[in-house]
Amino acid sequence: MKKWVVLVLAMLASPGLVHAELKVFACEAEWAELAKQLGGDQVKVESATTGLQDVHYIQARPSLIARVRSADLVVCTGADLEASWLPLLLRKANNRDVLPGQPGFLAASKFVTLLEKPEVLDRAAGDIHPFGNPHIQLDPRNIGLVAAELAKRLQALDSAHADTYAARYADFKGRWDSAVDGWATRLQTLQGARLVTYHRSWVYLFAWAGLVEAGTLEPKPGVPPSSSYLSELLARLKGQEILGIVHASYQDSRPSEWLSERTDIPVLLLPHTVGSTPQVTDLFSMFEILVSTLEGAAR
Amino acid sequence: MNWHAMDISILGPALLAGVLVLSTHVPLGREVLKRGIIFIDLAVAQLAGLGVILASTLGWEIHGYPAQAAAFGAAIAGAIFLTWVERNLQDVQEAIIGVMFILAATASMLLLANNPRGGDELKDLLVGQILWVDMAALGPAAVLSAVVLIAWFFLRHKIQRVGFYILFSLSVTVSVQLVGVYLVFSSLIIPALATRNLGGKGLWAAYAVGLAGYILGMLLSALMDLPTGPVIVWSMAVVAVIVGLMRKRDANQ
Repeated sequence: MKKWVVLVLAMLASPGLVHAELKVFACEAEWAELAKQLGGDQVKVESATTGLQDVHYIQARPSLIARVRSADLVVCTGADLEASWLPLLLRKANNRDVLPGQPGFLAASKFVTLLEKPEVLDRAAGDIHPFGNPHIQLDPRNIGLVAAELAKRLQALDSAHADTYAARYADFKGRWDSAVDGWATRLQTLQGARLVTYHRSWVYLFAWAGLVEAGTLEPKPGVPPSSSYLSELLARLKGQEILGIVHASYQDSRPSEWLSERTDIPVLLLPHTVGSTPQVTDLFSMFEILVSTLEGAAR
Repeated sequence: MNWHAMDISILGPALLAGVLVLSTHVPLGREVLKRGIIFIDLAVAQLAGLGVILASTLGWEIHGYPAQAAAFGAAIAGAIFLTWVERNLQDVQEAIIGVMFILAATASMLLLANNPRGGDELKDLLVGQILWVDMAALGPAAVLSAVVLIAWFFLRHKIQRVGFYILFSLSVTVSVQLVGVYLVFSSLIIPALATRNLGGKGLWAAYAVGLAGYILGMLLSALMDLPTGPVIVWSMAVVAVIVGLMRKRDANQ
């Protein structure tokens, strides 16, 4: 009887022992979804943040530390996006296998070309990321590049299932590349369309789709708008043809609505990651909704 | 349920930080409650924060000694001012403390108007992230707590009013950077409130309420996967209400 109780308790305490899955800890929802796509049943994926959170800043929970401690692979954007919490989390978790530089740590931004690398670093310019703009997931081609690296890491860390990972990657790559081509074709009519954003988190989308940023509600990244800046922005937008004000679900909607009321430009709620609205269930639906919202605004 | 987060090496340093904070804040909080100057800790914490922010606008490293000196300096200046207020403007003391809090808080915002990263730093300073505490940060805090406790319990009749305010400022400047202003406020006020009018044994009862709140809060935060600081605040309040109900029942019998 006693033995039986101990056994059950042990199983409850360490579910990892029951299934020998690879444990993946993702900083952001888009990488968690990608790991699920590429790992399937072989991996157990946890995400530090959801699609409704601002990933720049999170509250510490004990489970975050526990999950990083037991993780086999940590997938984050890097480029200082998680600078205010990831280094602390890695230090507290004290898991050598997932420290930067190890195969168990994947910084997605290392495998794509970063935009907006500042030539001079100056705090006065706002919350500038010294390595470049880290919001890389909004160019679907970047998702493809990160997927290639993630597949390699999965194969290396869990070589027993390497063939399964390779097959899953080939399948994903085929579906993803053709989807990306489809979206690009549909966006061609929108080339040169001008949009206003809240935070400079959409530059990769704009670069890929050929859209133009007509202005941002934040005067500098991370700095809330002042009244003089907003009136200046209003004057600047007058007479321009603007497709919409781009807004992400985690951002305060009041500045976007304020501008929309005064200019009659519609607010476009665009998904910035998986789970940002209930409809965005994976990476495919994320870009599908993104593209169709932009198409709808142009009509 | 997250049993795997129930790990002493994750929760241990945070619990030690809680014990250090409680050690000084429970006796100081009883005094604060007796004097009826409840919001003094918010004012002093904001002043300490303002000192750090001032230092970081000058380009000093936020955890370095000069920035810490600025924090202590600002808090002690506030303490000396509060002593003067108590002596000369006692009838409006609480109102002046409130104005001091608001001025210090908005001064930080003005200083940070063009420094968004500083915004995160300010938030960390005030909301606090008790889980990120590491052992290295606990050493200096332990030394200072010991000094404050010795001064408080053995030199109390010598240090007088200004002594109380200075000890209070020193403790809050350290604790607010360890655990944040919400936990500092709870650690001061809630145990003292639950055990008021208990006389000498009230101190030990207050320590017990505070410790029970921290332990229960950490366990719940690990189990339910919630941010640790706010859960501790609520646990401590629940423990205090239970103690209050038990005392009422005992009084009625």
